[in-house]
Amino acid sequence: MTTPPTGKPAALADELARLEEIVRRLEADDLDLDAALALFEQGVACLRAARERLAAAEVRVRTVLEDANGTLRLGDLDG
Amino acid sequence: MGPADQVFSISDLTAAVRTILEGSLGTVWVRGEVVQCRVHGSGHWYFTLRDSAAQARCAMWRTYSQRAGRPPADGTEVFAQGRPTLYEAKGEFQFVVYRLLSTAGIGDQQRALERVKAALDKEGLFAAARKRALPRYPSRVAVVTSPDGAALHDIVTVARGRWPAAELLVVAARVQGDGAAAELVAALKRVNRLRVDLCIVGRGGGGREDLAAFNDEAVCRALAAVRVPTVSAVGHETDVTLADLVADVRAATPSAAAELALPDARAVRRLVGDLGARLAGGLSRRTRLAVERLERTGDRLEGALEDGLARRRHLADRLAAQLDALSPLRVLERGYAVARAADGRVLRRQRDFPPGQPFTLRVTDGAVPAHAD
Repeated sequence: MTTPPTGKPAALADELARLEEIVRRLEADDLDLDAALALFEQGVACLRAARERLAAAEVRVRTVLEDANGTLRLGDLDG
Repeated sequence: MGPADQVFSISDLTAAVRTILEGSLGTVWVRGEVVQCRVHGSGHWYFTLRDSAAQARCAMWRTYSQRAGRPPADGTEVFAQGRPTLYEAKGEFQFVVYRLLSTAGIGDQQRALERVKAALDKEGLFAAARKRALPRYPSRVAVVTSPDGAALHDIVTVARGRWPAAELLVVAARVQGDGAAAELVAALKRVNRLRVDLCIVGRGGGGREDLAAFNDEAVCRALAAVRVPTVSAVGHETDVTLADLVADVRAATPSAAAELALPDARAVRRLVGDLGARLAGGLSRRTRLAVERLERTGDRLEGALEDGLARRRHLADRLAAQLDALSPLRVLERGYAVARAADGRVLRRQRDFPPGQPFTLRVTDGAVPAHAD
């Protein structure tokens, strides 16, 4: 019953896409050291976020319920 | 070999025959003509199915006969789904029927299906160009199915083993029987109000159950209108439904759908590890390059400084030498002297020395008083 079903999903896809882009740019030659360091910092942040998301212990299964007034909400599924 | 060696009781015999009968064929469809359908007080139906050469006694238990509607009239041509067994109390072969469809009705259904298929095809709903790629790392997955069906169980099981980062949002709908199509349409519309990356729609069960809802025109259109990529999992290897043709990806079973839709977390962890290593490698390579460049620049700078200093030192030496050469003290040192009057005037010519005039001679180490004779 917690988060609204219309909220943004946790975006591991975004983190990994950014990380891939950062690594690609960092591996290219045309980069000065300051830019490389800034990229590296962003990359580490993405890496940490991605690892945290991957560390999620258990699949969440919830059921979508519709109220009488047509509002969608999430409920926990029994079992 | 005499009777004492091995004697079956009748019960043993019929039980053994029943096991053989049930184990060898399983569930099958047969076609035949209904004769003498008798409705028992318990709600079970008993009838005979026959063709021109043979007949089989059939029983349809109440659970199934209730779903079949009215008992078929004599002579009705039907498709019957069931399994052969042995009624042990009477030692009779019996065909236990689960579903009964009149062939005329089937013909109508088939024609309706072809009509819907042609219409959807004409509108391009099956076109390969429409098919969307599935997201690589879905976070939220809508699952349109029966909340207590095998399909959901299978999908959850695969998700647990494969992609624990997933959140599954179950959008409940009946998947067979009356009203299933309407519930599926409502559920698919609900999916468009959710923030999800992907939608799996399906049902479980390997048997030839009712697929009508997944051939329904409104269901197909609602599926085509789902805004995220769709995976169909109707759970039937041989029959392809229209919903399967509309979905972006067709999976043979709900488990297969989950496998297609969800990445393997172990592979993704490896990928993240690789990216981490490449990130660190990229930076250290970058800093190494920078250090090398800095060293090269330093060398040049030092060289430039040294060159400049040497040049300057040389110049200073030369200038110093010149200055030295011009110094009057150096001239005096060589033995010259400067004569000055008492007022300090330098006496350069003969006429500057009238007889008896005192003057001073400046030599290298001091002044000497003198006078002209």
